[in-house]
Amino acid sequence: MSAAQDHEAEPNDPTRSGSPVPGGKDACLSQNEIEQLCLKAARGAGMSWGLAEEAGFAAAWLAARGLDGPGILLAQLTLADGRPWDEICPLVAPGRFAAEDSGCLCPIALGSTLCDHAALPQASMENAPLRLGPVSCPLLLLPFLSAVATARRQSLCLRWPRGMVVLTADGQIAGDATRLGAETSLTAELERHKPATERVPVTGDLPFLPSETLRGLNDLALRTTVPASEASRAGAGAVTGDND
Amino acid sequence: MDCASLNPIPEAAAFRRPPSQVMRLDRMGSAHPTRLSFLRSLLRRVSDEGWTFDRPVWDIDGRGVGRAVYRAAGPVRTYCLVAFAHDLPAEMRSDRVIATAWDATFTLFDGEPDADDLDRLQANVPLQEAGRISARELSLSRANRSVRLFAHVIERLAAGMQPDPAEVEAVGYLMRTTAVYGSGKFGAADRANIADRPELSAPFQAEMLSVWLTRQFTVDIVEHLAATRGGASAVRLDPAIRRMLGVGNSTGLGMAPFLVRHPVLLNNWMMAREEALARVRAQHAARPDAVAAFQAALAEATENARQWHSTHPIQIAKLDALRRDLTCLADRIANWPEPQSNHPWDRLWRWGEAELSLEGQEALLALMLEPHGDLVDGLSDCMTADEKAWFRLDGTITVADFSASLAQHYDWALAIDFDQPDKAARFWYVSEEKLEPRLGNRFEEDGASLEQPLCIARLAHELHTALKDWPGDASLAAFLLAHPEHRFMARRAQILGHHPYAEVRDNLIAAEILPIDLMRCKLAFFGASRFDPRSDKWVRISLFQGMPYPSDMTPGGWA
Repeated sequence: MSAAQDHEAEPNDPTRSGSPVPGGKDACLSQNEIEQLCLKAARGAGMSWGLAEEAGFAAAWLAARGLDGPGILLAQLTLADGRPWDEICPLVAPGRFAAEDSGCLCPIALGSTLCDHAALPQASMENAPLRLGPVSCPLLLLPFLSAVATARRQSLCLRWPRGMVVLTADGQIAGDATRLGAETSLTAELERHKPATERVPVTGDLPFLPSETLRGLNDLALRTTVPASEASRAGAGAVTGDND
Repeated sequence: MDCASLNPIPEAAAFRRPPSQVMRLDRMGSAHPTRLSFLRSLLRRVSDEGWTFDRPVWDIDGRGVGRAVYRAAGPVRTYCLVAFAHDLPAEMRSDRVIATAWDATFTLFDGEPDADDLDRLQANVPLQEAGRISARELSLSRANRSVRLFAHVIERLAAGMQPDPAEVEAVGYLMRTTAVYGSGKFGAADRANIADRPELSAPFQAEMLSVWLTRQFTVDIVEHLAATRGGASAVRLDPAIRRMLGVGNSTGLGMAPFLVRHPVLLNNWMMAREEALARVRAQHAARPDAVAAFQAALAEATENARQWHSTHPIQIAKLDALRRDLTCLADRIANWPEPQSNHPWDRLWRWGEAELSLEGQEALLALMLEPHGDLVDGLSDCMTADEKAWFRLDGTITVADFSASLAQHYDWALAIDFDQPDKAARFWYVSEEKLEPRLGNRFEEDGASLEQPLCIARLAHELHTALKDWPGDASLAAFLLAHPEHRFMARRAQILGHHPYAEVRDNLIAAEILPIDLMRCKLAFFGASRFDPRSDKWVRISLFQGMPYPSDMTPGGWA
């Protein structure tokens, strides 16, 4: 079987539950499938394994709240494909996680860096909001900001010119998450939030993934695989047959 | 809940084996099932809670094709195994993940399926990976017949005779599963959605329940086919022979990376087992009833070792050593414990460490746990893991402190010279073909640039080297911002700081690596017996052999 035929057959990974859907159909993936598929797609798009884990985490976290994490991750991976790390990772200074020159940050890189710095002075919000960005596909920031809020046991608020999202200390989000999902890039401020009124948390079922999102993520994920060879095939099974 | 703070026997900690001894591949590859194994905890629960079992649907024709439903009713919830039986031509029978058809296919349904559910499942479950299941299902699996024994048993039963016990003993199962998927795979329910149910919170309980009900199906279908063929002269399986039959399992390399990919879970499994051994060793005296139960368990293990066969040279040598060890052990305990001896279990253990092979030592561990359910069974509750809780890195630690911690916990890895070709001879990868995990030869095959991050020792080595170029007072957060390529390993290293048994302390890309060692360890935690390698990366095992059937728990609940 050629690699191309094999690809069309939509192969499956028994250990990481990837590429799970027969070709050409929309599908509802489990959270685990979304996380593993997005991890592999991010790796296939060139992220390091550790950042690809963060990408899988972020996409699945959003999907668990009914938000289109997988689709927006695919958009981000497509956007950043081939761009060097120093163009998409933040420059960290007290009060500011910014892009270099006129660049635009990767939300996975920015989010991971914010989490790593959550208890360091650079991420202090004591006296002024943190300035973030510009960052592309900013919805993907929310899982990381929620982790920061949880770790600090402090509600946070992300504000940008067209909306705001509250991230509570107990891991919930409220506000304009859907609007944030429609933003392609923005500069935002992150500040400590004093809950004035109870807000309705954003919740939802795992989203249906359109076939084009699945195909795009599967294509990237397949970049992590090695084309089959006779040598590899020969070593993979039992030495004897299975009709005993 | 913090298991450590609840420990009723804190003095046992002094008897615990260190990770440097426990987490070596050769010892992990000698692991034996224990009473903490997952199928044992399932059987304890269904017995203690009085679960009932029956078979509300049996719609299988004379060729053995159709569907059946097995119902397991617990105190709060009910689960059903939905089984589809197929007529599989011999040329399509393959245990590999690249197979497309099987003798039987299964799913564990959450609740009781109605006719619409069954039709939906019938359109998907027989396709396995090419179909889709839903959040109402907890597992997806398939099984192939042991062609020889399956035919023999039907032939004998149809003729009014029992199967030849030697044939039953030689194979040990009528069907073997070739994959049992859970945890959200192919659309199934996510583990997070069911992990708070007491009956499913321990690892792999849904999968174990599915396999146990599958074992019932395998004997039901041979009796059905024998009755079809033999009519009035057919007989049912003798209960003693029936009990000799387990469910086989055939497993390839895909299972091997699991323990490496789940360090927190691995730690919790190992920690529970090691704590159990330590509690037994910490006993000041050996109770007479425990000594008697230990002797009975040894007799059973000796019989099991007699029946345990393999054609693989490595396993043949290990089985020879095990049989010799069990004989030595029987001699050793002939007049044991000596009167007034202090800590007799610990003395026995130390004798075993000095005198027995690794196979024998790990068998002794299992035997020593056997009479001590009151001391150790509660540890089953500590074997699950909240992996998400350990995902975030602590970026505040300084490069100097982090590097020192790495040097302490990964000393075994930093001592390896990866410039020597045999220390980096292999690489783990995922094949484009069916996304099957495979192990390649770095210097002979293409694809090493697509290596999976299972080469932990080398990753630790590289991280340690990179840290040397950084000022000691810099934060790990700053280091990772400049070096995203080390994020994966930095996360693991921080996990190991809190989970001493999280890491396999061997080089997983060395020329001499035996993937079956990883598989044996995981399978022993499942409760697998009769470990029988078919190559250095492919094994068959048996589950539930010698244990009761669901129908034994509910006499009269069966057709």
